[in-house]
Amino acid sequence: MDSWVIAMMLGASLFLGAIALSAFLWGIKNGQFDDEKKMMNQVQFDDERELNDAANQQRKQEASKKEYRPE
Amino acid sequence: MSKVKCDHCHLEFSDSVMIHDGEYRFCCNGCQGIFHLLKDEGLESFYAKMGDTTLAPPTEQFEASSNFDTPAFHERFVTTTKENLSQVSLVIEGIHCAACVWLNEKALHKMEGVIEAHINYTNNKARITWNPEIVKLSSIIDMIRAIGYNAFPYDASLQEIRANKERKEYYLRMAVATFATMNMMWIAVAQYAGYFTGISQEIKTILNIAEWFLATPVLFYSGWVFYRGAYYGLKNGSVTMDLLVVTGSSLAYLYSIYITVLEKGEAYFDSVAMIITFVLFGKFLEVLSRKNAADTLDVIGKHIPREVSIVEGESIRSVDVNEVKEGDVILIRSGERSAIDGEVISGEGSFDESNLTGESEPIFKRLGDKIISGTTSIDALIQYRATKDFAHSTLSTLVNLLENAMAQKPSIEQLANRLSQHFSSTILFLAIGTFWSWYFWPHTFDRSLMVGISVIIIACPCALALATPVATLVGLALGAKRGILFKSAAQIETMAQATMVVLDKTGTITMGRPEVTYATLHQSFDIKALYTLVSSSKHPISRGVMEYIERSEHEIESSTIEEVRELPARGMIGRHDGMMIAGGNALLMQELGIDIDTVSDKSLFYYAVGNTLMATYELRDLPKEKASESIQILHDLGLRVVMLTGDHEAAALRVANEVGIKEFYAHLTPEGKAAFVDQSHSEGHVVVMAGDGINDLLALAASDIAIAMGNGSDIAIEVSDVVLMHDSLTSLAESFAISRKTYRLIKQNLGISLVYNSITIPLAMMGYIIPLIAAISMSFSSLLVVGNSMRVRWLYK
Repeated sequence: MDSWVIAMMLGASLFLGAIALSAFLWGIKNGQFDDEKKMMNQVQFDDERELNDAANQQRKQEASKKEYRPE
Repeated sequence: MSKVKCDHCHLEFSDSVMIHDGEYRFCCNGCQGIFHLLKDEGLESFYAKMGDTTLAPPTEQFEASSNFDTPAFHERFVTTTKENLSQVSLVIEGIHCAACVWLNEKALHKMEGVIEAHINYTNNKARITWNPEIVKLSSIIDMIRAIGYNAFPYDASLQEIRANKERKEYYLRMAVATFATMNMMWIAVAQYAGYFTGISQEIKTILNIAEWFLATPVLFYSGWVFYRGAYYGLKNGSVTMDLLVVTGSSLAYLYSIYITVLEKGEAYFDSVAMIITFVLFGKFLEVLSRKNAADTLDVIGKHIPREVSIVEGESIRSVDVNEVKEGDVILIRSGERSAIDGEVISGEGSFDESNLTGESEPIFKRLGDKIISGTTSIDALIQYRATKDFAHSTLSTLVNLLENAMAQKPSIEQLANRLSQHFSSTILFLAIGTFWSWYFWPHTFDRSLMVGISVIIIACPCALALATPVATLVGLALGAKRGILFKSAAQIETMAQATMVVLDKTGTITMGRPEVTYATLHQSFDIKALYTLVSSSKHPISRGVMEYIERSEHEIESSTIEEVRELPARGMIGRHDGMMIAGGNALLMQELGIDIDTVSDKSLFYYAVGNTLMATYELRDLPKEKASESIQILHDLGLRVVMLTGDHEAAALRVANEVGIKEFYAHLTPEGKAAFVDQSHSEGHVVVMAGDGINDLLALAASDIAIAMGNGSDIAIEVSDVVLMHDSLTSLAESFAISRKTYRLIKQNLGISLVYNSITIPLAMMGYIIPLIAAISMSFSSLLVVGNSMRVRWLYK
């Protein structure tokens, strides 16, 4: 019986670790760590206006995608 | 008077000179304009984000932004994305703080048609995506300039993108490997404890399965680079270290699965993960310190003027260099670099040809003289007729030759690579031998296989893989602290084996600019007037006199002189206190009716007030400080020291005698220098070449190790493998010492790991190795190698 406890604990902790690892890997792939100087200053540029701006940019991007028709 | 901060750039000025604008104060119109622009755009929170940083006040002189819309520009720098959007990479100039990045991104995002603007704060590179149907690139550039920054295009070449991708891939692989290995270690602790104190088979199997689960991504994802390396190695018919790593870890992995499934014996999953992780780190260090050849050619491209001014009747228009045809009339202003060869048809003035010919003194050009591309006009406003098109001009021919030379650059195989070939095949041979002798001794198949595998695992070259990268990193750090930048680690090894050092004269051994060696004051005169006169000119001779006056007089102020005029190839004249003052060469003095009878092989600068000669200054290009000591050190290191120069024989002989060089060659063209280096190669020398100008480029590219002086031309710095920031010959001697020290360290490290293996491999062959010992030995040998390298670092702090 006690061996199942060990198996479960191993499984649970490895699973949690794997989640953290995949978040880290996502960050690397996404370029979150590409610019170390900007990353350290990011907290200064993190208010409502930045969110609005980001949303605006996304809208622009989608609009340009819609317009595009392959000939 | 109290100082007041400018509301835009935050630099302090006294209140009286500021522009008053309501409650705001500005230092210049530029700052005022930007401040209002930001306010109108609703971006004034920039100033709050900026904090204490100050900005450089904006410059207002830009080349026309319409250049950014020409087809030639687009063809070269702009790419089109899948969605038919345009994309360009720019370097933004003037970024001082995170707020600057924010401001640029926001300002661009506000523009209609700009889809994405991403600026990297660390290297100031920006990637901008826009819809070409809505907005033109020139208006984007205008926006960047309007808010007080400037942008240059840069070629994000394929190689650079590939290099960044490779680095990122390594980060991913290392993250996975480190995560798995660290987790495995605590599982392994339970295994080892169980090995000595007893553990039920059931729990052992659970631990084995957990390790199996962790080891799989390490071997097949992180270890993929080794599979690839081993495959390409075998394809080329060579046994590489990668092959040894791959065989060892794959066999251990398969054997451990077999153990886990059949529930008997000890699994080696932790060794598998550890080998891959250690060796991957070693490989990553190598990738980090590898020189990025891509950057080099980029910068060379940047150095060539892209546009020239063409005169058509009355009008002047700027065109792309490639559009210039033979016979076009080109206008060149002072300070501009010529891009195309030609012949002067009007105007006259001096040209600086030092970076092509090595000639330290400016050359005077007049009607009918030839203009060579790559030379810079010092004071000349000249119209000349193109005699060749751009592709056949000297500068582009030189660049083409250079590209070829870079592609064929000789390289000496690294010691570790040579060694690992023999090492790998020996180990594989020993492992197979061990397996067969155990099997026939007689033992069970399982046991024999296990012992055979343990030989490969224990010999697995963790220490060997770390030996070279760690040592070279120490060497790089030692050099960097002394202002010696090795661009790539492999070059340290090559440099340590050099047998010959070739030095350029102008700018490498000598200062590269004339200095006053002797001053004769014939009568007393107002030195301030002379000082003001010489500071008005950029001519090297006047600069030399100016610096001399600054050195000899402690405090000197300028005085007012009027009607200063520069007379090409003669000097300059002006008016001070109602008297005419003149400074220049003998020709000028003769024209003024002053008799000169001094004859000298050096450059002479005369100063006259009215019609009387006041002073004579002797100038020449002096050797750098401590040049002869450093060259003595190079001789002592057993190197053959040779000086090459494009200058004439007499000048070369004088410098050679002064610094103690016995072998020198004068009157060499850039190609001639390269040919000399090639010839030395064929005589079996490993050649180190130190130079600073464009005239040395080919020779630099042909040499095994190219060293550039820190104040040399950008291209020379790019082409070179080592850059001496302090620009002195002492650093040159030091760089040799450091490379030899590092090479010795590499040999020591390789020695340590080989000795270590020669102890552990017999143990493994006798079958004494259990997983715990394998893990300990692996870590311990790696620690020894790293520790040995650190020791050198502390010793030379």
